[in-house]
Amino acid sequence: MTILRDAGSPPHDSANTHVTGASEFIDDRSMLKGELHCGVIYSPFAHARVRRLDTSLACQVPGVVGVVTARDVVHNVWGTIFQDQPILVETEAQYVGEVVVVVGAETKEALVKGIAAVEIEWERLEDIRSIDEAVAKGSFIGHERTISCGDAQAAMLEAPCKISGTLVIEGAEHFYLESQAVVVYPKEDGQLEVHSSTQHPTEVQHVVAKACGLRFSDVVCVAKRLGGGFGGKESQAAPIAAYAALMAKKTGRPCRLVLTKDDDMIITGKRNPFQITYECGCDRAGRIVALDAMLYSDGGAYADLSTSIMERALLHCDNAYSIPNARLRGRVCRTNFHPHTAFRGFGGPKGVALIESIMEDIAHTTGRDALDVRMLNCYGPGHDMTPYGQKVENNCLPALFGKLEATSEYRKRRDSIRAWNSDRSLNPDAHVRGLSLTAVKFGISFTTRFLNQANAMVNVHVDGTVQVSTGAVEMGQGVNGRIACIVAEQFGISLESVRIMATSTEKNANTSPTAASVGTDLNGAAAKVACIKVKRRLAALAIRLKTIPPEFWATKTAGLGTRPEIDVGDGVDVDGDAHHRVVFHHGVVTVTHRDGSEFQIGFAQLVRDAHLNRIAVSAYGHFSIPELQFDKVKGQGRAFLYFTQGVAASEVELDRWTGEVKVRRVDMLMDLGRPINHGLDMGQVIGGFVQGMGWMTTEHLYYNNDGLLVSHSPSTYKIPNVQDTPRIFNADLIFNEGNVVNLERTKASGEPPLLLAISVWTAIRDAITSARSLHTADSSQPIVPIAIPATPERVLRALSPENFEAAENVQ
Amino acid sequence: MRDYALVHVNGVRHEVRGREALMMLADWLRREAGLTGTKTVCSEGDCGSCTVLRAMPQPGCTTDFLEAPPLEFEAVNSCIATVAQMDGSHIVTVEGMQCGAELSPAQEAMKTCHASQCGYCTPGFVMAMSAMLERHNGIAQPIGPQLAANYLTGNLCRCTGYVTILEAALAVKATKQHSVARRYSNPAAVQAGIAAAEQSLLIEHDGVCVCAPVTVREACSFAATHPGFRVLGAATDLGVQINKGKPLPRAILSLHLIPDLYEMKQTRNRWRVGARVSLATIRRMCEESSPELSRFLNLFASPQIKNVATLVGNVANASPIGDTLPFLLISDGQVHVASRPGGKGPLRQRTIAMTDLYTGYKTLALEPGEIITHVSFANPEAKEMVRLSKVSMRKDLDISAVSAAFSCTLQKRGRSRKPPVIESARIAYGGVAATPIRLPEIEEALEGEVTAEKIESLANRIADRVKPLSDVRGSAAYRRVLAANLFRRFGAEVLLA
Repeated sequence: MTILRDAGSPPHDSANTHVTGASEFIDDRSMLKGELHCGVIYSPFAHARVRRLDTSLACQVPGVVGVVTARDVVHNVWGTIFQDQPILVETEAQYVGEVVVVVGAETKEALVKGIAAVEIEWERLEDIRSIDEAVAKGSFIGHERTISCGDAQAAMLEAPCKISGTLVIEGAEHFYLESQAVVVYPKEDGQLEVHSSTQHPTEVQHVVAKACGLRFSDVVCVAKRLGGGFGGKESQAAPIAAYAALMAKKTGRPCRLVLTKDDDMIITGKRNPFQITYECGCDRAGRIVALDAMLYSDGGAYADLSTSIMERALLHCDNAYSIPNARLRGRVCRTNFHPHTAFRGFGGPKGVALIESIMEDIAHTTGRDALDVRMLNCYGPGHDMTPYGQKVENNCLPALFGKLEATSEYRKRRDSIRAWNSDRSLNPDAHVRGLSLTAVKFGISFTTRFLNQANAMVNVHVDGTVQVSTGAVEMGQGVNGRIACIVAEQFGISLESVRIMATSTEKNANTSPTAASVGTDLNGAAAKVACIKVKRRLAALAIRLKTIPPEFWATKTAGLGTRPEIDVGDGVDVDGDAHHRVVFHHGVVTVTHRDGSEFQIGFAQLVRDAHLNRIAVSAYGHFSIPELQFDKVKGQGRAFLYFTQGVAASEVELDRWTGEVKVRRVDMLMDLGRPINHGLDMGQVIGGFVQGMGWMTTEHLYYNNDGLLVSHSPSTYKIPNVQDTPRIFNADLIFNEGNVVNLERTKASGEPPLLLAISVWTAIRDAITSARSLHTADSSQPIVPIAIPATPERVLRALSPENFEAAENVQ
Repeated sequence: MRDYALVHVNGVRHEVRGREALMMLADWLRREAGLTGTKTVCSEGDCGSCTVLRAMPQPGCTTDFLEAPPLEFEAVNSCIATVAQMDGSHIVTVEGMQCGAELSPAQEAMKTCHASQCGYCTPGFVMAMSAMLERHNGIAQPIGPQLAANYLTGNLCRCTGYVTILEAALAVKATKQHSVARRYSNPAAVQAGIAAAEQSLLIEHDGVCVCAPVTVREACSFAATHPGFRVLGAATDLGVQINKGKPLPRAILSLHLIPDLYEMKQTRNRWRVGARVSLATIRRMCEESSPELSRFLNLFASPQIKNVATLVGNVANASPIGDTLPFLLISDGQVHVASRPGGKGPLRQRTIAMTDLYTGYKTLALEPGEIITHVSFANPEAKEMVRLSKVSMRKDLDISAVSAAFSCTLQKRGRSRKPPVIESARIAYGGVAATPIRLPEIEEALEGEVTAEKIESLANRIADRVKPLSDVRGSAAYRRVLAANLFRRFGAEVLLA
């Protein structure tokens, strides 16, 4: 195992309290006197009408203090994009897990009894539980979206080779370790203080306020840290918070709702399942001339973020490859499943899986190596226009392909795998290996323009330490550490002098969710704006102090009132004025005059003097990403500020007896610009990959015939284990200082690495194709399609369909 | 008779009574003891976030506390064990790891290696890694990647991809001074625990009683007088069901104070394993006499589970996918039961063959009031070939879709190039019927000369013969193919032998 790492990069800002167990999560907060434990009752049916709901017995259970139903909700509808989802079921439940009743009790024991005492009579209704069914019945959310360029249909007719197929991509569970959790404290005059495990405190604030009939100014939402989010707490934390808030409002007591892992998995939505039919035309060399694809996603019962997720899927069907003629259409299906939602990648992986799968198909059809096909189609000079009309600038893809081809020894390993697969003396068990190298080009920015803004508050204290508040939520990704680093560098002080405070809507209002990988890009930039405001004033003061003997500084005289105040207005430029250069470094502010004379003052001393001169040393910064111009109606324009790019090569071995998959080796190479903290970024790179690897292989959502998720806990839903981490895992970054458009020339690292795990799935496909062609000695047979995830059962079925046929025919 | 469970937490003595004694340890730590560093995520022993260190001193343990501290700390899950079950234990939580302001070696390594992101799984990993250091502290054997991974198999992380956690496990530097055993082996506390263990325990609350007698005889009396009683061993299954809403059984019998039941003895090539012997102990003890079982136990469950779960528990749970059951079925497994009809008089003991034990889905051929005290099994003969396998969605720490045990004795072939000849064979499967099963007709047909054709035809017969269900772990067709393929794999090995 070798990882390139800058050993000097500081650990996570909470590392110390994480390892000692002192980090406080929602459910670690002490119970207050009178605080209630809340629990929920949800629909056991995918679609059913509430015929009778009786909570009277529950209210009589000793210890039960409150029962909340739809009747208690002032404004019983919410939704991030479309307002289509009730907070509590009124008459009809649309999925298993849709919450109908909230019970609040003084003890957990009473809560269990109270929940058992609620009586609900259900009348089952017809439901829709597949994409096919939804399409047949015309059950959709939103309109069909299209992104197109050139003339795909005409070009397809001319194409010498054509490939078509259907790709099934199932959903996945976020499996954040900390389940959805919230505590609500009622405050004076009807106000509520909400502590929520949410990626989007502003939305929680708004949804809670509306549900309770309060004004936004009556509700504060605080998110200190999350035990993982991955998109699952972007929108879906809001109704959970509303349940506890409604109970707090009704009972006047503090209320805590912490879902069990089972309930969390049953209630909350997942990554949207997709079903994609496609046709791709290419020339005999394997160069794509046209792509026509219809993407259907399963949105579940309510819109949630599914339409935006579909948009991002469509915007990523090109991935690293130039497609001159494309027609990409997408439609979200309304079904009777939990409303599916954001999950790391946000639709992007579906588009990427499609085109990477097509690359394998083309390789098979043309008889070329899949890497050659990919490099042939890769964006490069002269063919750098995406189907949505944004030029691919600062493009590292060809360099990444070339470099990883060499460092992963792709060609050599391709030969040795071929030999190993066919030579029983090397491989007595006749297992089968596969290799695949795929790419990612992930668009960075929210595709919804107004979300690309952030605000930050920087408070400099008179001892020279700094507190920073932004809208960014820390969920393990290290956004706090990165922002702290930016602020420390701005003021030229140590990292220890900067503390990032809990995210709260009373300090930062109207914030965007911490999502789309842009938490640091946006909030770090806003913090920098605030820092600069303070620095300009401090720089001006330092220049003035240079000319004043220290015994006349405000620290000596302010109390006596003997000296006039220094007024600096909005200050000077951060690096000085026409005559002076000002540098903030190592806790010291240095002013150098053009004549060579120099003056130094400690940062803390300067701040103290600023304060005594009544100069503001706190500031608020607002930042918005410039230049975005994407027309959603036309599907054209600059959707992204820049692209994060990378490549990965994965080698797998399939057990021909059981279908079990082992990932033997992974080589990753990414362009993350100029990282702020190498260690944190590598954590995103490797962690994202392994998370994606689970989705590609063992994470299987299994629903029964009632539409209930049966794999609703880690005993049945298998995320990767320490033993699954590839033994040889080489992850590296290229050096790229060219991303001038973004904060500190960095690049976002949260989502993109997950998409590189698609190489595991394409490697499995490669292995299956090798096995089948060895088996039949017929290389012209079509590629065996395999769904995502490629579970052991699916792999074994693909390796030996005849055995399955026989087994299915046993009486 | 004691009415409290005695536990030491981070060196502090607690007598836990009534309602609190029936709480799961993790809940008790978090809600009653205020130690919220220990996290609960799955409440089913599958994620390791609730991992704590636990030691239970044995009667007659050493008194040379400094040279050989009597407490041997192991990782256990605190979410699926009641405090009552932890009676007599010394528990160390993440809060007990620091020495003053100094981080413990595992904490320091996790911090500097970027091995903690969101932090929710971190305390569990710190404790699992500390358990590794406890066992390997001062031992010359270096900790390699595989060994480290084996100690961390019971912990899930969703952020890091484990690479940095493994790096931390390999980078960690521990000295004797950091040993948790040394720090927490307080002579008075250990002696107090041993003394308390000589007294039976009876905890009653809200219509539930937990009884832990000190002899098998007393245990059988309790069983006879409390119809519907349940024996609570490690509760790695029952504890999960309780967490998920099943009420506590009214009468709970715990055998943890009966010293005899901690014994594992080998006589005339048979192991006799007491009801309190953990799977971890069996794995260590069987390394030489039954290496295939020992190897198989590495795949099976997590260290946290294996440190408490017992072979008798696996047998008594009677799951069709109990992972040790196919092995016991082919190894002349026998179940030793005891009872005391009417609760008085002499102990009645009898032996049931594993092949006769299961009468239907999760039903045992036990009389009311009978408890299983031991399980015994034969070691494989020198010339016997034994293969145990399980197939699951994920290779490690997963419940089997299908498990299988094969054994055969091959005739000596010398230099002959003729096909191998099987003298006797035994075949057992889990996950293909309502109970684990033997396949006598296939065993019989396998005897004699073995050819590739014969293997293939018997594999097809197996696929036809088994009657699996479709469920979350796989379709019926997949299970049929797996049953046949595991046999094919075994057959291929026989042909090469």
